[in-house]
Amino acid sequence: MEEEKTDLELYLDQCSAQDALTTSRSPLLSPAVPYDVDMLTSSNPESAFNPQLEEVTETSGSFSAVDLSFLLDELSQEKKDQTVIRSKHEIEENCKTQKQQTRLPLPSQLDTGLALDSSSGSSSHSHLHPADGNSAQPSPEKPHSLPLASITPMTPIAPISECSGIVPQLQNIVSTVNLACKLDLKKIALHAKNAEYNPKRFAAVIMRIREPRTTALIFSSGKMVCTGAKSEEQSRLAARKYARVVQKLGFPARFLDFTIQNMVGSCDVRFPISLEGLVLTHQQFSSYEPELFPGLIYRMVKPRIVLLIFVSGKVVLTGAKKRSDICEAFENIYPILKGFKKA
Amino acid sequence: MPGRGRCPDCGSAELVEDSHYSQNQLVCSDCGCVVTEGVLTTTFSDEGNLREVTYSRSTGENEQVSRSQQRGLRRVRDLCRVLQLPPTFEDTAIAYYQQAYQHAGIRTARLQKKEVLVGCCVLITCRQRNWPLTMGTICTLLYADLDVFSGTYMQIVKLLGLDVPSLCLVDLVKTYCSSFKLFEASPSVPAKYVEDKEKMLSRTLQLVELADETWLVTGRHPLPVITAATFLAWQSLRPSDRLSCSLARFCKLANVDLPYPASSRLQELLAVLLQMAEQLAWLQVLKLDKRSVVKHIGDLLQHRHMLVRKAFRDGTAEMDSGEKELQGQGQGQGPEEEDVGSSSLELPAVKRPASPALLLPPCMLKPPKRVCPTPPVSTVTGDEDISDSEIEQYLRTPQEVRDFQKAQAARQAAQSVPNPP
Repeated sequence: MEEEKTDLELYLDQCSAQDALTTSRSPLLSPAVPYDVDMLTSSNPESAFNPQLEEVTETSGSFSAVDLSFLLDELSQEKKDQTVIRSKHEIEENCKTQKQQTRLPLPSQLDTGLALDSSSGSSSHSHLHPADGNSAQPSPEKPHSLPLASITPMTPIAPISECSGIVPQLQNIVSTVNLACKLDLKKIALHAKNAEYNPKRFAAVIMRIREPRTTALIFSSGKMVCTGAKSEEQSRLAARKYARVVQKLGFPARFLDFTIQNMVGSCDVRFPISLEGLVLTHQQFSSYEPELFPGLIYRMVKPRIVLLIFVSGKVVLTGAKKRSDICEAFENIYPILKGFKKA
Repeated sequence: MPGRGRCPDCGSAELVEDSHYSQNQLVCSDCGCVVTEGVLTTTFSDEGNLREVTYSRSTGENEQVSRSQQRGLRRVRDLCRVLQLPPTFEDTAIAYYQQAYQHAGIRTARLQKKEVLVGCCVLITCRQRNWPLTMGTICTLLYADLDVFSGTYMQIVKLLGLDVPSLCLVDLVKTYCSSFKLFEASPSVPAKYVEDKEKMLSRTLQLVELADETWLVTGRHPLPVITAATFLAWQSLRPSDRLSCSLARFCKLANVDLPYPASSRLQELLAVLLQMAEQLAWLQVLKLDKRSVVKHIGDLLQHRHMLVRKAFRDGTAEMDSGEKELQGQGQGQGPEEEDVGSSSLELPAVKRPASPALLLPPCMLKPPKRVCPTPPVSTVTGDEDISDSEIEQYLRTPQEVRDFQKAQAARQAAQSVPNPP
């Protein structure tokens, strides 16, 4: 119990630090949270973890908002409601706890990395918040005062956004736009070379253009769906071209409410992944049925993205409305996947 | 009934409430005299307060078990009995079916889906109790399409919020192997093909474990791997007589369906065994191929952990030299692999074992089917001007429109007169 609490405190320190950084709009440490969570969930059963976290929340009144919302909804709510006010000397308290932790080396390194960063004043004031969760927690038995200077120098931690070094490539963008006029699909199919219209099969005209290479579904109500573009700008340009074609055919087409509905990205982590292991530890989010589909379907809660993870290391991310969602999701999953590198 | 008054005719106190064609009547049970009558018809004002309620909006649905649900529950019981599951499984599966039926989406689903739902509930029950039942088996029993089954299965797992563990490979091996009809001689199975069940089971388990370690199982359907492993185990137990038997013939003998991917799994497993054989001194000399390695599967399996470590490397190349675990089995060859390589022994053709192959899933070892070029960085802003000429290229000229219309009309005419006189 004692050891667990220590780990938990450290984890919470980490989370508070991560949250402080996310509030300051820095992408640092975001994967550290799920990584820690991953470690903890593999060591403690999920059910035991939640009450513990809640219990600690009770004791530490001013506990910082932790970005755990990618884990469980009810948990994240509590964390987000609490705010952070910290002073510099609490960094020392944070450092002292690192001596006792044995199980999570990486977070401690990141903690000290943060502390070092803060001492060098590289980033904003929020760097001074790493030890948040620790301050109000009862720990009288711990030895005090590990001064900042006694932190062992270690390899500088690269910013987490470079940790994976891989940026997912966008493969498909689906967008919709409202042309705001009723259309005569038969006329469009007759006068446009690049249109196909088979009302018995589907109630829309399927139109294609060569540059950017996309396909559009144009409905008689004036709504249009544009698919196949590789970037948001290309999707917008393509949608405008389709609207121009419709305009040239004599309809008073406008260009209203252009919205990106879905973005699909893919990337390769370049190492094999043990899907059986991943589904064991992340059962709540994963669905792996080799009899049905060779990949593992991972439904990330925050951001709300679905990832298809294959044994070859290829990852497909879908369900995003913004490019940042895809990048964030990949940064979240990369440390988890690294944990399952070997069978 | 006491306290209700007396019959005016016979004076008896035994009055019974009875209805005659939905008209309430109070009748004397002794003489049959009708004491009072209810009203058979309703007046207009009464009916004004009554409103027709559709069955789906009434509470009748919740109070009764509908006929289709009853049918479904019967099907669940039948399926459990056909599969010879323990009785507790039946109750759990029934509970899941009832739970599913509470959702409107399931109640209003097609009959085909409700049929498949029966299989899903049984499958979930079996998975949760580690009973090895494959989706293929259930689909065969229900005459269902795997696509329909998979859709319903994923939906119901999400709907009920269930935690379904993975298929237990070891149990599946035991059940599947036991179904092979090779353990007794029969007119179709000659004596030399008959095998002891325990020996075959244990060897198959070892081969499946080996396949799992070397990335042959992840992401693949489990059954073909087990078929290939069973075949190899059976062959290796008496190679002299059985090497001539092919995989297809083996499955026919054993009265088991041959899954299509099994032959490619077999090749992959043999390739792994060959790699391992490279690490054994006396096998290196023999220059094994895919057929002859079968004779030595017993030895290879005995030292499989060490051989896999030696034969393969992952990203972190660990070359542990000087492992003295391996002793020449009955061949009296003491020297280790490295020595064999360095000292030129009997055959001058023996060279040092090639640097260990990468332990990767087969999909990563094969060259990519098509090289995906990285797309050029596009500098599209989305707000560029769109030239008229670019749009014009997609429009038909008036002449083209006329031609197109003529062609369409001609086609319509041709279709409406299929057999010109």
